[in-house]
Amino acid sequence: MTQPKRRGCLGCSFPVLVIIIIVFLALGIFGFLSGAIGQELLQKYGVDIKFPDWMVIGQPEPHLPAPVLFNVFGIPITNTLIASWITVVLLVVISYVVTRRMKIIPGRLQTLFESFLGWIFDLCKSIAGDKNARRFFPIIATIFLYVLLNAWLSLIPGYGSIEYTEYEPVATHTEELPAGGHEGEYTIVTKDGVDYIEHRHELIRGANTDVNTPLAIAIISFVVVAYFGLTSLGMGWLRQYFNFGPLFRSLGQTFKGKLNVMGIFSGAIDIFVGFLELLSRFITIISFTFRLFGNMTAGEILLLITAFLVPWVLAIPFYGLEILIGFVQAFIFSGLTLVFITMAVTPHEAEAH
Amino acid sequence: MGDLLTELGVNGGVLITQLVTFIILLVILRFVAYKPLMRMLDERSKRVKESMEQAESVKEQSAHAEEEVKKQLVEASREGQERIARAVKAGEEMKQKAQEEARHEAEALIERARGEIQRERDEAIGEVRREFADLTVLAAGKVIERTLDKEKHRELIDKVLEESSTEKKEQP
Repeated sequence: MTQPKRRGCLGCSFPVLVIIIIVFLALGIFGFLSGAIGQELLQKYGVDIKFPDWMVIGQPEPHLPAPVLFNVFGIPITNTLIASWITVVLLVVISYVVTRRMKIIPGRLQTLFESFLGWIFDLCKSIAGDKNARRFFPIIATIFLYVLLNAWLSLIPGYGSIEYTEYEPVATHTEELPAGGHEGEYTIVTKDGVDYIEHRHELIRGANTDVNTPLAIAIISFVVVAYFGLTSLGMGWLRQYFNFGPLFRSLGQTFKGKLNVMGIFSGAIDIFVGFLELLSRFITIISFTFRLFGNMTAGEILLLITAFLVPWVLAIPFYGLEILIGFVQAFIFSGLTLVFITMAVTPHEAEAH
Repeated sequence: MGDLLTELGVNGGVLITQLVTFIILLVILRFVAYKPLMRMLDERSKRVKESMEQAESVKEQSAHAEEEVKKQLVEASREGQERIARAVKAGEEMKQKAQEEARHEAEALIERARGEIQRERDEAIGEVRREFADLTVLAAGKVIERTLDKEKHRELIDKVLEESSTEKKEQP
């Protein structure tokens, strides 16, 4: 059997490649012209081309709070929760499928899985040391996988574009409606003589773009840092934050007759420093939350805006950017958590001197 | 503050649900992903270690065997040398012995030859004596037969001797 002689480029023969390039360019040009910038330019030069409705992309209306789609046992289910559950299910299913039959000599999928998690494990080892890496690895890897998959899944078409419409009679609506009919979340429609409020929501939205998700992970991260700090250093960890010892010692000396002004002063400063440390620990939660939330939300808005301004082909590079940003954010979130945990289990005195 | 949080979308119920979701994910992944992964990594590193140890021991064994072989070779060559030396020595001894024997034999031969010669000479001398006596007797007979003067006596003896010599020449 002889291998047929292959000619061409990128796996296609030249004519096919040329056709593909032409189609691609045409899509790019038409997409650009149908977008907001293109329309503006066309009108400026007096060319009036109307694109069909299905080609024109409406102005995006980003809004920060995730809409509640329905309630289950009093728990509000938002579209971001659905997205995060999809992430969870996907992660569990992939892990189960891969680890169900693990082999010493791994197959392709297992190699991928192992090398990725092994990379995270090596990261843990390089920062926390061999002994602690095993304890920290599960939480770090979970944060990484969860954030990463949340970010990447939200790039899949359907996230933020499949809509869910809900009708609510105006009469039963208790809250006052904001003025301005077609702003954001609702329109008033009349059906059978009754006014309904039409809520239109995305069915699924990237979980990281809801502030609750980053906040939840940040709280987990905080709790984990506190847990490891307490179990490793015990009271020593708390002493970093509630450092009353030196002050009380100095006061005790004062009652015994030895007035130690410098001791009392530095004791007070120690308490203050402890307070600052405590504050910074809580501020860490906020910075964790808003770093991820801000990046992800900005990314999504960026994608919406590019899809509106220069739709189709020219918006594609931004997806690459978002893939990179998703990875970087996952890396930062888990890496910082790892660093904080490592700092929490390292004795403070040994670190200072 | 509360307004700000609402504006941002912070929602207690959703937050708690997210926390629970994350914890569930953590627990499930711990059993589904991390434990098997760690077990596998440990197992693999154990195997690698084992096989490396095995390789090490095999190497050691082979080095040992090689040393053994070398030692045996040295031993063998030494033994061979020794054997050669012994053989050479034995050969030398044998040669010496043979020489000795040969000399003995030769001496014996010479001795015998000498004896023979002695005997032959004695015999010859004896014969000569006997012959001479005979001749003497013959000559004396001749002398007695005639009266002889001194010159005739001489002549006679010469004649006899001549006769005997011619006789001897013809005889053998």
